[in-house]
Amino acid sequence: MSSDSQALAPASSRLVERIALRLTLPAVLLAVPILVFLAIFFFYPAINLLFFSLLTQDAKGVVGPPHTLAHYTRFFEVDLYLRVFWNTLRISLVTSAFAIVLGYPVAIVMSRSGPIVSRTIALIVIAPLIVSVVVRSYGWQLILVNSPNGLLNWALMSIGIISEPLAILYSETAVVIGSLHVFFPMMVLPLASALGKIDPNLEDCARTLGAPWWKVFLRVTLPLSVPGLVAGFTLVFSLTAGSFVTPVILGGTTATMLGNLIEQQIFVVYDWPFGAAIAMVLVLVVFAINTLSMRLLEGRRFRSVS
Amino acid sequence: MNRRLSGPGAWILYFITALLMVFILAPLAVVVAMSVSDSYFVSFPPQGFTLKWYGKILQDRDFLAALQLSGLLAFSTTMGSLLLGIPAAIALTRGRFPGQDLLKGLVLSPLIFPALVTGLALMQLLSAMGSGDARINLLIGHIVVTSPYVIRAVVTSLLLVDYNLEDAARTLGANRLKTFWRITLPQIAPGVAAGALFAFMVSFDNYPVTMWLANSEYSPVPLVLMRQLVNVFDPSVPAMSTVIIILAVVGVLILERLVGLRRAAAM
Repeated sequence: MSSDSQALAPASSRLVERIALRLTLPAVLLAVPILVFLAIFFFYPAINLLFFSLLTQDAKGVVGPPHTLAHYTRFFEVDLYLRVFWNTLRISLVTSAFAIVLGYPVAIVMSRSGPIVSRTIALIVIAPLIVSVVVRSYGWQLILVNSPNGLLNWALMSIGIISEPLAILYSETAVVIGSLHVFFPMMVLPLASALGKIDPNLEDCARTLGAPWWKVFLRVTLPLSVPGLVAGFTLVFSLTAGSFVTPVILGGTTATMLGNLIEQQIFVVYDWPFGAAIAMVLVLVVFAINTLSMRLLEGRRFRSVS
Repeated sequence: MNRRLSGPGAWILYFITALLMVFILAPLAVVVAMSVSDSYFVSFPPQGFTLKWYGKILQDRDFLAALQLSGLLAFSTTMGSLLLGIPAAIALTRGRFPGQDLLKGLVLSPLIFPALVTGLALMQLLSAMGSGDARINLLIGHIVVTSPYVIRAVVTSLLLVDYNLEDAARTLGANRLKTFWRITLPQIAPGVAAGALFAFMVSFDNYPVTMWLANSEYSPVPLVLMRQLVNVFDPSVPAMSTVIIILAVVGVLILERLVGLRRAAAM
């Protein structure tokens, strides 16, 4: 008996190996088409753009050596560009902060209500995601118009709260409102899914032990929902930082963001290397936020283990 | 599964949520209301009721051409994304090989990368290669940004498929292709459909990649709308926007029917 199994062991392990090989080889091959496609049309162009940002453009518009970091130093030295850079960071940060504060109530109600309420909220939160950003920003333009013809001013003036129309459109506030509207679902959905995973008994325990509702939230719900919070924050921040349409429609010439600056450099000024450099700055901002949030989540995991 | 909300905090939460629902729907409602306004300028409050702006945009050649182009582009993009995405999803769930996580990160990376830069980089490559047809360029760019959605949706549903059924089919003598076609595909059909619908809608609405690759001859809907928005001030712009909203609502209803909205959003 024992000699039998000994004789069988190498044969069966060889069989397993052979099966594994047969299952594995074609499986990898299935990913080849998309890898080739992305390599040619996504990875290569992205790296190419990085090199482009280090080249010089001569008076005739020909781009070539010498290699230089001049575009980057120019970006961080010229006041105008620096202001756009800070605008972008500020708008993205404020938008994601509001998304967090307003996302929690919605996500809590969504994950702790009956099927009808929960489904209705999901429908209202998700549906606008599919409507073009152009249409949604345009809707906000109609609401915020700086004359008595806008919905907001008309309503406030009819009630008599204000006598002069407010000037919200073409400001950072308008861009934040529009971005919040566009990317709000990106905060609510991960939050709701994180909240749904929390054991309700934990909150009940805290409540039974006499903690008021705000303390239950701060000490139990909030810490346990951090993964959803970080995921939502990263998404909202990255997407807002890379927006183009919303600042054009709602920000006008005052609340310009990096995306608008890139478009201007390429389509209006035709300064390709400088446009590429600004694009790389944008990529860097987005990567930094993603890395930071990943570090944050990993740190949490290690702490909970120890 | 979770306990219902109760206590004094609950009413505050419900109130804030209700306000936010109004916040979400308001800009869309305003657009729809303005589209039937019987006035020559878009200004609040809307006056009377007319459908003449819809009549106007139905004769607008640019808008109709854009609708046709966007529909065709979104359809071809969806096909391309499925063709590249489904095999990739199978590789990610069925095979086991070194670097699988890396592969997953690579194929999903267009999701995190700023789309604006994706489009710019691609335009630079394509113009250097001398590829002149904007429609082909748009198709390539849209497949880059939509394929991760297909992969994610198909991977999610492949993970739910019962391996035993596939094994049983193989044991009974079906070859790999037949097993996939008869056993796996029917089970992942909702995921494939959701992925396809995502790809279609993302392509139809895409602006940040489209803005670099389109030209004056071939401009998809979002670009045409943006141009109208800057140049035209009558309610035909809200009417165009309403058409887009209606198309989106139809898409959402199909998605809800196919997989349920919460599940689809989690993909």
